[in-house]
Amino acid sequence: MRAIVLVGALASAVFLFASASPAGAQAGDAQAGRAVYERKCALCHGEKGDGKGPGADLLDPRPRDFTTGIYKIRTTVNKTPTDRDLFDVITRGMPGTFMPAWDVLPEKDRWNLVAYLKAFAADKFKEAPKKQELPKEVASSPESIRRGKEMYEAIECNKCHGAEGRADGPSRPELKDEWGHPIRPANLTKRWTFRGGGGRAEIAMRLTTGVLGTPMPSFIDSVEKPDDIWHLANYLASLGPESPHYATLLTAEAVNGDIPADPVAEFWKRMAPQNIPLVGQVTIDPRNFNPSIDMVALRAAWNDKEVAFHVTWDDPTQSGADAAKKASPDVVSLQFPQKVAEGADRPYFLMGGDADAVYLLRWENGKGATEASANGPTRIVPLAGGEVTGQAAYANGQYRLVLKRPLVSKGPDRPTFQPAVFLPIAFQAWDGGAGETGAKMSLTSWYYLRLEEPQSSRRFVVPPVVAILTFAAMLLVVRVANRRA
Amino acid sequence: MRRALGVVLAAALVAGVALFVQRPDPVDAQGGGTVEVTVTYNGAPVVEKLKVNKDTEKCGTEAVIEKVVVGGNKGLANAVVSVPTAKGAPKMAKATVDQHGCKFVPHVTAMTPGDLELKNSDDILHNIHTYSTANPSINKAQPKFKKVMMEKFEKPEIIKLTCDVHSWMLGWVAVLPTPFFAVSDASGAAKIENVPAGKQTVEVWHETLGKQTKEVDVKAGQVVKVGFEMKK
Ligand SMILES: [Cu+2]
Repeated sequence: MRAIVLVGALASAVFLFASASPAGAQAGDAQAGRAVYERKCALCHGEKGDGKGPGADLLDPRPRDFTTGIYKIRTTVNKTPTDRDLFDVITRGMPGTFMPAWDVLPEKDRWNLVAYLKAFAADKFKEAPKKQELPKEVASSPESIRRGKEMYEAIECNKCHGAEGRADGPSRPELKDEWGHPIRPANLTKRWTFRGGGGRAEIAMRLTTGVLGTPMPSFIDSVEKPDDIWHLANYLASLGPESPHYATLLTAEAVNGDIPADPVAEFWKRMAPQNIPLVGQVTIDPRNFNPSIDMVALRAAWNDKEVAFHVTWDDPTQSGADAAKKASPDVVSLQFPQKVAEGADRPYFLMGGDADAVYLLRWENGKGATEASANGPTRIVPLAGGEVTGQAAYANGQYRLVLKRPLVSKGPDRPTFQPAVFLPIAFQAWDGGAGETGAKMSLTSWYYLRLEEPQSSRRFVVPPVVAILTFAAMLLVVRVANRRA
Repeated sequence: MRRALGVVLAAALVAGVALFVQRPDPVDAQGGGTVEVTVTYNGAPVVEKLKVNKDTEKCGTEAVIEKVVVGGNKGLANAVVSVPTAKGAPKMAKATVDQHGCKFVPHVTAMTPGDLELKNSDDILHNIHTYSTANPSINKAQPKFKKVMMEKFEKPEIIKLTCDVHSWMLGWVAVLPTPFFAVSDASGAAKIENVPAGKQTVEVWHETLGKQTKEVDVKAGQVVKVGFEMKK
């Protein structure tokens, strides 16, 4: 019986696998593709495929101009991408751009689209794609990763991507694409943002072919041995996870004793990061369509006296306020409702509304930690009698920050932190070096933070109850979020 | 005996190579003329300067981008002069561009279709990023240990060379349909020898001042002088 089930599971797994990756490309019908194109693509890419659709001016990076026939992501030696390359980009989208994944479209429609896209640059597609072969695969191992790191340094990937891969290299501000638009290097620690996919083979292919139309060159003739392409790919894959595993509910760990104020203390390293995605603020002017900071990682702890938030985020430039240079500082801010009341509506997520203020724990490079209350992004009032302390460290394109505050607040304009309560929390960040200031920020909507109760025997008795409650809370969060949206 | 044979063989080989290298241009036999070109520009030099904040040991602390170089007597340097109407065997000498001091040296290279040798004598990473349409455009990293790379340009066209690591680096490669060409020197002078006799067209190209052509009558064994005044 068990064997039959196993065979059945295997068979269905094989079937799933087979249907997820069809053996080969299908010939699409350009005329049928046109109908899909005009419904789904023309708004940005334009009816003529020239990247000048009615919505194009709002987008940064700009939509692809299909009439050039130049495609970034390809698996070919020459400029011509394969049908499969185009199909994959349509299916996966381009992370970090406005190009969404179109895997919702029937496969047939996507192949038809491929045929129609090619028709925009028919002369360019006269040259048949020449498949790029990769050197024989080298499995990842500590030796391979070590060799990859050695190559990373020898071929100076750091010039653009930075010493630790966080896109903070010295050439970064000069980089332009072939159309003269500024372009950012990839943050190599965030594989899920790689335009051509974050798998090892996909990385090896990008290193081999380069990324057409961008500063990213081909390295196949520029490494010491062809194997080095794989060592490099293995090293890059070791720099970060393939997925950010974004957190849903945030927790602060209960601690007996002191919480270190030093953000690089071992204490914080031992704690697992809770990753939270940030998006550009596009509700009010000035809108931030191409935000610099796309994630913060939160670690939080509390004891009988205080609560501490450890925030990590990548910022390629360390910048402080400089009036003479009209430069803005790097800022991060944690937002809470000013009053935490059971069953109360949360303030408007974008820094509060007229009637409902939010409480902000802010840290600004050069100025340090402050507290403020806000009734919107333009109505921020500093709070006197500071209760917050902060300490930050910046290295290789990354900030680490500890903000600490007493659990119990002195006055009514600050919330008191209580254990076992779902406390609304939101985040905002500004990369001053990218000209982000005021409403031009990246941010989150409301999340929930829970100060975990101290470890006791009860903890081991009630997990099922906690799980059910957490699940119920999550459902509630989703419902509330849906209702608000 | 065997050794003697070896020596003879080696000598023959050397002689053969020497012969091959010195093979006279076929035009020589019929006798061609010399075209002496003077390129002038009545405007001011265009030189952009940029503060450098990386690789300063190799690149210096200031990058100088010379877009229009004007010498004595208004002579315009870095102009490509050629006789596109004159056909002949491709030049034997290979064209070379060096990346030296974070500059393309020479700033303008002229060649006939074929191989271009790209040197990196800087001991730091550069990337050769070309802008072209007739030839496949390339973007290849040239790390410090890759001292020489060869690239093929098979179709005549003017190709822009850039480096993304050092955004100020700019160079030009003129792939020409004729082996009769020269690049003007600091005084704006360019000399093309052994040009087949007869009516010919002389063409001048400059990266920012564009293109001009003139008709000349080339006579065997004689020098014909042509002047070009480039305008914005
Ligand atoms: Cu360079």
